Amino acid sequence: MSDHHRVTKRCPVCFSRDIDVLLTSRDGIWACVKCSFNGTEAEIRGMYRDIQKKYHGMIERYTLDDQRKL
Amino acid sequence: MMKLNIFHRTDPGRYEIFKQQQDLVHSLGMKTSIFLHYFDLFQDHIVADALAYQEEFGDEIGLALNRLEGPGMDDISRGLEHIWLFDEEQKRQLMEMALSKFKAVFGRMPTAVTSYHFDSSALRILKEIVPEVEGLVGGCFEEGVRVFHGCNHSWYLFNEGMPWGPWFPAKGHTLRPAADEQDWSGVVAVPHLARDMSLSYEGRNDFWASHPPNVIRGMGNDASFCPYDLNLIDQYRMQADFNGHTYYNTFVGTQWLTWNHNSEYPPEVSWDLYTKQLTYFKELKDQGELDDLTLTEYALWHKENRPMAEPEVYLAKEMLYQSHKHYFWHIDPDLRVLIDANQGGSIGDLRAYIGRVEKATGPDTPSRENGAYPYLIQSQYRTGYPNHSFDGSRTTLKLVKNGQEVDLCTTPTKVESIERSSAGSRVVLSPAQIVFPDGGTVEVVTTYAIEPGGKITLTRSLSGDTEDILATEYFKGAPGCTEYPIDLHGIQLQVTDAEATQEMDYLYRRRRLEAERPECVVAIVPQVNSRVMMAPAKGAQPASGLAREGNLFEPYFVLELTYDTNTSTEFSTCLIITA
Ligand SMILES: [Zn+2]
Repeated sequence: MSDHHRVTKRCPVCFSRDIDVLLTSRDGIWACVKCSFNGTEAEIRGMYRDIQKKYHGMIERYTLDDQRKL
Repeated sequence: MMKLNIFHRTDPGRYEIFKQQQDLVHSLGMKTSIFLHYFDLFQDHIVADALAYQEEFGDEIGLALNRLEGPGMDDISRGLEHIWLFDEEQKRQLMEMALSKFKAVFGRMPTAVTSYHFDSSALRILKEIVPEVEGLVGGCFEEGVRVFHGCNHSWYLFNEGMPWGPWFPAKGHTLRPAADEQDWSGVVAVPHLARDMSLSYEGRNDFWASHPPNVIRGMGNDASFCPYDLNLIDQYRMQADFNGHTYYNTFVGTQWLTWNHNSEYPPEVSWDLYTKQLTYFKELKDQGELDDLTLTEYALWHKENRPMAEPEVYLAKEMLYQSHKHYFWHIDPDLRVLIDANQGGSIGDLRAYIGRVEKATGPDTPSRENGAYPYLIQSQYRTGYPNHSFDGSRTTLKLVKNGQEVDLCTTPTKVESIERSSAGSRVVLSPAQIVFPDGGTVEVVTTYAIEPGGKITLTRSLSGDTEDILATEYFKGAPGCTEYPIDLHGIQLQVTDAEATQEMDYLYRRRRLEAERPECVVAIVPQVNSRVMMAPAKGAQPASGLAREGNLFEPYFVLELTYDTNTSTEFSTCLIITA
């Protein structure tokens, strides 16, 4: 198995509700056992990016001095 | 100065990963505490390596009670990995088996032991078998309902309501800091990981912690770029400003450093981020800002240097969402209090340790799997500020002018100053700017003083257009351990004025008791062995007071004291919680 196939994916719909559910793959489509989500890997990766948009501070380094002033 | 523990657990199935973790820490000139499971003790090479690590690097060898498998053990544990979920008889059998093997292998008992949680009977039995235990990894801060949901309702670790930093566990409830030597279980416990003190209140505690692969699980990284891991370390360093010291640990299991179902990245990314975290510790150590210790060394330092019953505080400043919200936490043996500065200084979480609720877990106890210390207020699980229906458990100040009400929860504030000492803590919030529909504005400055003995004094100082305002201190509570209500029968409400005390038993009929010029309003809450009293501080005189029960659609009790600002624009209220 190539490394690519060892990467699992969690359902982006369940994850956006803070629940980890692994997707299962069939014929290039990934589907969730808990909810009705199904989609391609590209769609899923895009949805992960959308989930991360709320983390405005994801790329920000707050040092000790920064935090004292925050 | 930050005190640091680096923990590793052995793993025969992924032993190369464990060795790489060890090598990484040692290459940075630091030491670890390694925890061997019962089944590891049958592996000669694991034992030999552990002894070599101890000899060469000063690592500590401790016992992991996390996975309970191996010769003779499987028939007892039958797949259950969690010591606090067995009945007392099995807890004893399992611990005796693991500890006697440990002694047979190493010629001594361990002085450091780890689990995700130790309930009171597990810890008592452990201490009976091994009086020499000093250090314990004893609980996961605010792990419970949210992680249960997050793991698709399958992770049965409920130990909310505990300290975020190292503590002296009490005998009757190990998550409560002991009040004195008599009350103390005899070990120093540290939390399993340091958690984000904003986000583990708002959501899952596991994502936002001193564990880089868990931050990956939360999707808080962009591949190998994750400043959050270092930001969290610095937020804990900032706490030394208030407490004089600070503690941190990291505990990354081998399964997180290989392909795993909690990450959409290959293992290089978790290795990268783990390495960056450890490298930052090393930099801090080189600067004299950090001291790495084994768990037993830390426990001994803690016993020597941290007085029992000393109040501690934590000022959390939310970073990941860049809300920059402030949360203020206070803990002492009688109370754990969370003040939500963003909601005008509302109490968002309140644990009345002074009630000394006793609890063990296991199928032979009424608590079964839930080891949490029960709350009196939990605004995340129990509504807090209203959204569509009634509000839930919280405190606030309500200002009414010409029939128009403004709730202080709608006005964000920040923590402006903190003082902390053995006598308690004092917090001043930045002024809350309140605007009434008629355009009138009022500024409210809130000061909290929290003292051991369950005493919170809340002072409000109003300025601006304060004429004809009625200001109501409001406490809405309900005991519980999860997001669901529990039976409130047995609660008794009281209102006392100069003449008499009125009383009623909680019957879910939304009745109220009222008095003018009250001396106090009270709720007696047997579910948490506590009496909650709101009374004017010396010199303050409320115009009226109220105690109210709820109903099955609003399962709470309410206490109120209302001040007339035409009498005074500054008033202090005591919230006194006693057993
Ligand atoms: Zn789903």
